Amino acid sequence: MDSWFKEHIDFATMGIVAALLLIGIASVYSATYDAEAAVFFHRQIIWAGIGFLLMLSIMLTPFRIVQLLSYPLYGASIVVLMTVLAIGKAVAGSKSWFGIGGLGLQPSEIVKVTTILALASYLSQRHVNLRRFQDILVTFAIVLIPVGLILLQPDMGTAIIYLGILLAIVYWAGASNFLIMALLAPVAAAIASLFGTSAFVAVLVLTIIVLFFIHENRLASATVFSGTVLVGVSVQFIFGKLAHYQQKRILTFLNPEADPLGAGYNVIQSKIAIGSGGLLGKGYLQGSQTQLNFLPAQWTDFIYCVPAEEFGFLGAFLILILLTLLLLRGVRTASVVKSRYASVVAIGVVGTFMIHTLINIGMATGVMPVIGVPLPFLSYGGSNLLTNMIMAGLLLNMYTNRKEY
Amino acid sequence: METSESSSRRTIFSLLVGLLFVFLLARLVQLQFLYQDVYGKKSEENSIRPIAHDPIRGYVFDRSGRLLVDNRPSYTVTVTPAEFHSTSIPLLSRILSVDSELIQERVNKGKVYNRFSPVKVRRDIDFQTLAAIEENRDKLPGVDYQIESKRFYPTKAKAAHLFGYTKEISDQQLAAKGDEYRPGDVIGATGLEAAYDSYLRGQKGYEFITVNAKGQMLGAYNEGRNDITTKEGDDLFLATDGPLQALAESLLTDKRGAVVAIDPDDGGVLALASKPDYDLTLFGGVTPPEVWDALTTDSARPLFNRATMTRYPPGSTFKMVLAAAALQNGVVNPAARITCTGGFQFGTRLFKDHVTHGSTNMVEAIQRSCNVYFYQLMLKTGFESWTRYGEEFGFGSATGIDILEETTGLLPSEEYFDRIYGERKWTKGYLVSLAIGQGEVGVSPLQMACYASTLGNEGYYHTPHVVEKIRDRETGEVRGVPVETRKVELSDQTWKIIHDGMYRCVNEEGGTGLAARVAGVQVAGKTGTAQNPHGEDHAWFVGYAPLDHPKIAICVLVENAGFGGSIAAPIAGMCIEQYLYGKLIRNQRNAPSLIAAKANHPQPQTQTQPQTESH
Repeated sequence: MDSWFKEHIDFATMGIVAALLLIGIASVYSATYDAEAAVFFHRQIIWAGIGFLLMLSIMLTPFRIVQLLSYPLYGASIVVLMTVLAIGKAVAGSKSWFGIGGLGLQPSEIVKVTTILALASYLSQRHVNLRRFQDILVTFAIVLIPVGLILLQPDMGTAIIYLGILLAIVYWAGASNFLIMALLAPVAAAIASLFGTSAFVAVLVLTIIVLFFIHENRLASATVFSGTVLVGVSVQFIFGKLAHYQQKRILTFLNPEADPLGAGYNVIQSKIAIGSGGLLGKGYLQGSQTQLNFLPAQWTDFIYCVPAEEFGFLGAFLILILLTLLLLRGVRTASVVKSRYASVVAIGVVGTFMIHTLINIGMATGVMPVIGVPLPFLSYGGSNLLTNMIMAGLLLNMYTNRKEY
Repeated sequence: METSESSSRRTIFSLLVGLLFVFLLARLVQLQFLYQDVYGKKSEENSIRPIAHDPIRGYVFDRSGRLLVDNRPSYTVTVTPAEFHSTSIPLLSRILSVDSELIQERVNKGKVYNRFSPVKVRRDIDFQTLAAIEENRDKLPGVDYQIESKRFYPTKAKAAHLFGYTKEISDQQLAAKGDEYRPGDVIGATGLEAAYDSYLRGQKGYEFITVNAKGQMLGAYNEGRNDITTKEGDDLFLATDGPLQALAESLLTDKRGAVVAIDPDDGGVLALASKPDYDLTLFGGVTPPEVWDALTTDSARPLFNRATMTRYPPGSTFKMVLAAAALQNGVVNPAARITCTGGFQFGTRLFKDHVTHGSTNMVEAIQRSCNVYFYQLMLKTGFESWTRYGEEFGFGSATGIDILEETTGLLPSEEYFDRIYGERKWTKGYLVSLAIGQGEVGVSPLQMACYASTLGNEGYYHTPHVVEKIRDRETGEVRGVPVETRKVELSDQTWKIIHDGMYRCVNEEGGTGLAARVAGVQVAGKTGTAQNPHGEDHAWFVGYAPLDHPKIAICVLVENAGFGGSIAAPIAGMCIEQYLYGKLIRNQRNAPSLIAAKANHPQPQTQTQPQTESH
């Protein structure tokens, strides 16, 4: 019996997830301690409990059933997204919440999972080849449908996450370097052009060099390059046409500290919280930044500041290393599973966690723009936590069934 | 799905994860190790707010422990920018009768500094205003008042130029003084208030409170263990004699001039009065601009400290410098007589004397202020020696008094004349005027009082000082202020001749300073008249008493008053009397006869009037 467990259950992943959950609960408790927000702490415990059970039950769901449900679940989630657009209640200016019995549910979170499953199903079909144009189109379409619906809501952060997931999956599923380049170059050009012409030109030069080494046919290379140029130029053109306040908003997005009382406020306070933590921190429930509520709604996107301030570098490092180990473990699962479907699912989950970690911790430490993206397993929020637990459950499931084709 | 391609993708993915880890780790190390100090400090500033408590400004006492300057409560209206609504400005402006722009400006400045700290918008309001603020409290959120103190001067010694005034610190001072001061703080601007500001002001106390992100106070930080208690200002004990100061001021009423009295034993300033003066209480609270304008544009220049800043030729009071130089150089036999014919022909120019003195030796020349004697003495003594002894007695340089503003005066020398007129472009004729203290030489009443003190105590030049002791209020510890002393070396015979001449000047027939006589006290002195090309001459008197062990040395200057003997000498006499007897014993309206009646030492024949022509 013991050996069956050892053989079939990924205790490492499960342990890491449990540890992150506990740290998250403790952090939410601290962030809402002494405030009138204690209800968040209680809810988070309930979500974590439900989530853990959900994770275990997904782990134990037969592999075939998961695979078979992929498309139906994807279809259902698209319908839900459309419904949200029609009737959803607006939270913070974004129509992405569903009111169910007093607890808000955010469908765009769970759609990440169904999109990963659908992509995996599609890409694991034998005839699908990411070197073929029509297959690439279908792959993109699977992602672009939910992204389009989400952008209508509009929710920038989630859309960027999807781009990350797509990149991770198509790269893993054997997309050519050229395809990756074709996806990355325009995005890089768009961002660079906002920083100025020299940054834009640098990206173009880099694009030419990489395209040269990739050795794709000239017409395709030229198309990608001119597309990149076009995107960069039009972003600059559109930016120039924007009203002053809109330009300012975009620039603050890129450099929050230019607006210390607005968007920059959170980043400044967050850096103060993390920086002032030092090596050992100020002690649990003793962080002045956290306890005196210098960060609004810190228990959601800026939860990382709590352990970083109260436990210092030790706390911040522990979380970072746990997340890194979780990611490496996920990459390993994606590599060892026999089924291509399982492999793509696993890497989709890894990609999701990875981009969440990068943007969230990067934002809290002031090296990434402020995008409302939660930190996996730590941030308060039912939809997000349940989605993360489902994805952890999928990772565990893929490991359990790693020998199946 | 292990293929060689997929294994290379696994490596790349693992590398990407590693890269993410290293990237975020590096940023954490940067924030939490390299910048911990910066962010640690910022986090403290964020949540811990110091509330300053102003200390009580130190008191000022006179040499006998009489209270000269203390504090009275005064109400200051403050505004806390974070709680204040600009809609309340018109009402507040009306109640305080302060411009709305000024209120707005103060609030804006405060906001930049710290929007949770109250800024002072109006000092020293009266009770009606206070009541109006109280009545409208609900309409004036963020408006409050603090009890502060303003200076009060309980005695008749008003000593505007000596005490000086305080005012709100300026932006430039704030930039220069650094951390110790905050906007709205009071700082000494002139006189003792400025010179001893660091003692008088004490140290602010701070109460540290914790606030949340909205600035709401949550309670004492660290249970008040970090609070800094207020340290009250130190008290100053002056060398000044309150009643003498008051008398000196009253004697100068309606005059322009100065009285400086010094204790020859240690250089303590017994009195320092300058008139016209101004009412220090005008500066106690808010100084209305029209009052300030009136003071600064007044042609009588009431803000100008004549006692230390004014610079006039000393006239005949300077003759003792030349006498000392001549005697020390041995160029003259003091007993030798010259004949004063009422004038002195030098080259083509005739230098006149005010009277024909006839046969005169040195003592008589001092007594009767014979110019002719000193004209010829100057030529025998020489310029260089005259300058040197002038320097010895402290002329041409600042005295180093502890109230900051003073003039160095001007003591001409050969180099100076070379510079002004060109080398060899001036002749010995230029010296003749200097012999009787006219021409380029310029001195302040303070310098003259120090000179009188040094003459009286036979050569001890003490740096004049107003403050004698400083008392720490917390510990009660009293520290004396060290006095610097140097010696002017003259022979006993020289001293005797100077004392003789100055004693006779005040006490014997033919003396020019008879009006300075005090019953029962041997006063020594010398009159002087500074020629003034713009109007009436300025009257000088320097002196000391009692002769054998002087307790007071004095200089009196009265501008545009004519002869020193008739105007300055009686003021000096009354000051000496006040100081030595503790009161005035003469009938001021008939002073000379009273002096004669009370005299208990040999007196010359009483003269009904001092010689008006004397210098």
